Amino acid sequence: MRENIYRPCGSAQHTVGRRQFMGDFLTAAGVISAGTSLFSHPLGAGEIARRGKSVVVVFLNGGVSQFESWDPKKDLDTGGPFKAIPTSVPGIHISELLPNTAKQMHHMALIRSINSGLDDHGLANNIIRTGRTTRSATEYPELGSVVAKGLERPDYPLPGHIATMLSGVGGRANNAAYLGPGYASVNIGAEKGGVVNTQLPDGMSVTLDSRRHDWRRFANNRFGAKARSAEIDAYTQSYEQALRLMERREVFDISKETEAIQIDYGKTEFGKQLLLARRLVEQEVPFVEIQHGGWDFHHNNFEFHLHYVGDFDRPFAHFIADLDRRGLLQQTLVIVMTEFGRTPRINTGHGRDHYAKAWSIALAGCGIQHGAVIGKTDAKGVEVTHRQIDHRHLFHTYLRAVGIDSSAEFEIAGRKFPIADPAYGPIEELLA
Amino acid sequence: MSPTIQAAIVRFDPKAAKSIHDWQHSSMLLCCRVDPKGKYVMAGGIDHTIQRWEIATGTKTALVGHDNWVRMLGFSPDGATLYSGGYDGRLIFWEVGVQTPKPSRTIQAHQGWVRGLAVSTDGKRLATCGNDKMVRIWSGVDGQMIQEMKGHPNIPYCLQFVPGSHDLVSGDIVGNIHHWHGADGRLVRKLDATEIHNMIGDIAPFGGIINLVFSSDAKVLVATGLHKTTNAPGGERRPVAIPFDWVSGKKLPKKESIKKEFNGTLWRALFHPNGIMVGVMEKQIGFWKPEENDAFHLLITPSEIYDCDLHPNQVDLYTAHHDGHVRCHQFMAI
Repeated sequence: MRENIYRPCGSAQHTVGRRQFMGDFLTAAGVISAGTSLFSHPLGAGEIARRGKSVVVVFLNGGVSQFESWDPKKDLDTGGPFKAIPTSVPGIHISELLPNTAKQMHHMALIRSINSGLDDHGLANNIIRTGRTTRSATEYPELGSVVAKGLERPDYPLPGHIATMLSGVGGRANNAAYLGPGYASVNIGAEKGGVVNTQLPDGMSVTLDSRRHDWRRFANNRFGAKARSAEIDAYTQSYEQALRLMERREVFDISKETEAIQIDYGKTEFGKQLLLARRLVEQEVPFVEIQHGGWDFHHNNFEFHLHYVGDFDRPFAHFIADLDRRGLLQQTLVIVMTEFGRTPRINTGHGRDHYAKAWSIALAGCGIQHGAVIGKTDAKGVEVTHRQIDHRHLFHTYLRAVGIDSSAEFEIAGRKFPIADPAYGPIEELLA
Repeated sequence: MSPTIQAAIVRFDPKAAKSIHDWQHSSMLLCCRVDPKGKYVMAGGIDHTIQRWEIATGTKTALVGHDNWVRMLGFSPDGATLYSGGYDGRLIFWEVGVQTPKPSRTIQAHQGWVRGLAVSTDGKRLATCGNDKMVRIWSGVDGQMIQEMKGHPNIPYCLQFVPGSHDLVSGDIVGNIHHWHGADGRLVRKLDATEIHNMIGDIAPFGGIINLVFSSDAKVLVATGLHKTTNAPGGERRPVAIPFDWVSGKKLPKKESIKKEFNGTLWRALFHPNGIMVGVMEKQIGFWKPEENDAFHLLITPSEIYDCDLHPNQVDLYTAHHDGHVRCHQFMAI
């Protein structure tokens, strides 16, 4: 029997989709065929320096256990049954469930002292993604939108904020807040060629398609001359971006990779998304998010982590190694993110519950000190004992690592918005 | 069988439960066994130790030798040797009766966790299974490996010797039961209990065969675990036992807790000589008559139970609990 639907702990936030889709974003037909020039050789130093930076977030949805990943403990009551293993960085040990990732630690850094305060899925997701603790009516853009805006380049043909999933449904999320829908995430599938509904219907020629788009632009311009608004601009922009995206359709098609490369990444849902992410990084897409989940193991935590971390480890380690081999890791920040950690206490179902007081994340790639470990928790993993960090520090740190001045402001329609919470700053000692 | 025990079997009454022992340890306990002579109860825990309680006095002694959670215990038929399997992959032999038992033999039995351990009726063989998906047979005397069998597509959780035989059954995390020939280790047949597992997100199996037990007359093999999963990571599931007619391999009606539903896993079942099946699931001890599908009685205990064993007197049931207690209830009509 199979249960493919992720059903976390049953709290209210799981019953409402996080993202509001513009369902027909990609249904506008139109194809201008063009190949992609993906490279399979390592880049030279000059080529690397000229490349745009990227951020890849691997979001472990539901709350991965820090004990079974980045901060294993020997404590007999709280540590669980998995041991710590050495990594490629002397002195750093992580869970034995991550033997392949351990070999990439010299490209990585760990933050083991996060106290983010909120252990509700929805609220925690929001603060981790926005770097804010919202106490007002203001909505803040998520990290992907901020990075897309911060690393924006003129005439860049692809969306700056892409969320991958197994089957692409198109659509755009509602996560850009005041930055506007142009910076919201576009959903792209890792299967079936990546972008769906991009073929011209039977009987529609390229010429005819081009003429109908000309007509649409004409009508839009005439309407816009009388009643222009940000919403109308965004709607128009969505059509144009969809066309550009369709022109570059092959970028999203992982079947263009050799069979050997696909096998190296693993033909799992996660492996396919990582391979797509690598192709997008090659194209200098500013922000890509992959989801792996759900990790909300209130029950049977150890059995589930045995399998879930196993599913994560090899493809993730290969992804890091591949980015490095291709010279892409120097321009790419990879964040293994989750919304909170899990309790030191092992509950009666051999599970661990939500815990936001002392948990960990991992980073890899550009802008950070490789082999760094920030912060400490006590022997039982209950409290942060050194260098407490929260979501606001993390947000600043991610931005600074890819060269975005997190103390700056966005000016939107004459109004200034601090890019990150101005009362906080980055983890300076982690930055390269 | 002595007349005293025969009389006790007749007087076994689940509804006449009386708590007679409640011993506490400082860590969660995962397994327990009573030695065949009825002198000790042993319990393995997440603090890497096995605790031995002398039943007459309640004196507790720690057995130290594992380096991870102690998951399974078994005794030689004469009660002289305890066998333990742990998440350190070790199979350890212990001399039971000495003042402070030490490992007399330590075998690295599996790569990864030891999940299941069984002792043949004659005590000549032990069987273990583990995360390396292997089933291995060991000499109960000198610890030499006699056979190893592979074929489970995923992790085997548990195993049991066919009573009076060296044939073996093993059950895995995705619901397959393999019947292995005792003489040469070949696969004799497979029984299908895959209905008691789910795949979660195409990544992790959930459920599977947690325990295998033969009825007292060896005519029925029962696989226990969970089913009706609605939210696996949240632990929403129901306990279940799937009996098979051992000769034909035909599946018999499930045993569940129907009138009183609750989330649970049937961690272990055993058969009383009078035919009643006893099973532990969450805080409950359930009792099923041979011909009935629903538990006719449930006894609620103070804490979740992960294992149980019946004293040779056939009326005292020992249980290992999440709260670190070993409890004993006597089920005997006055």
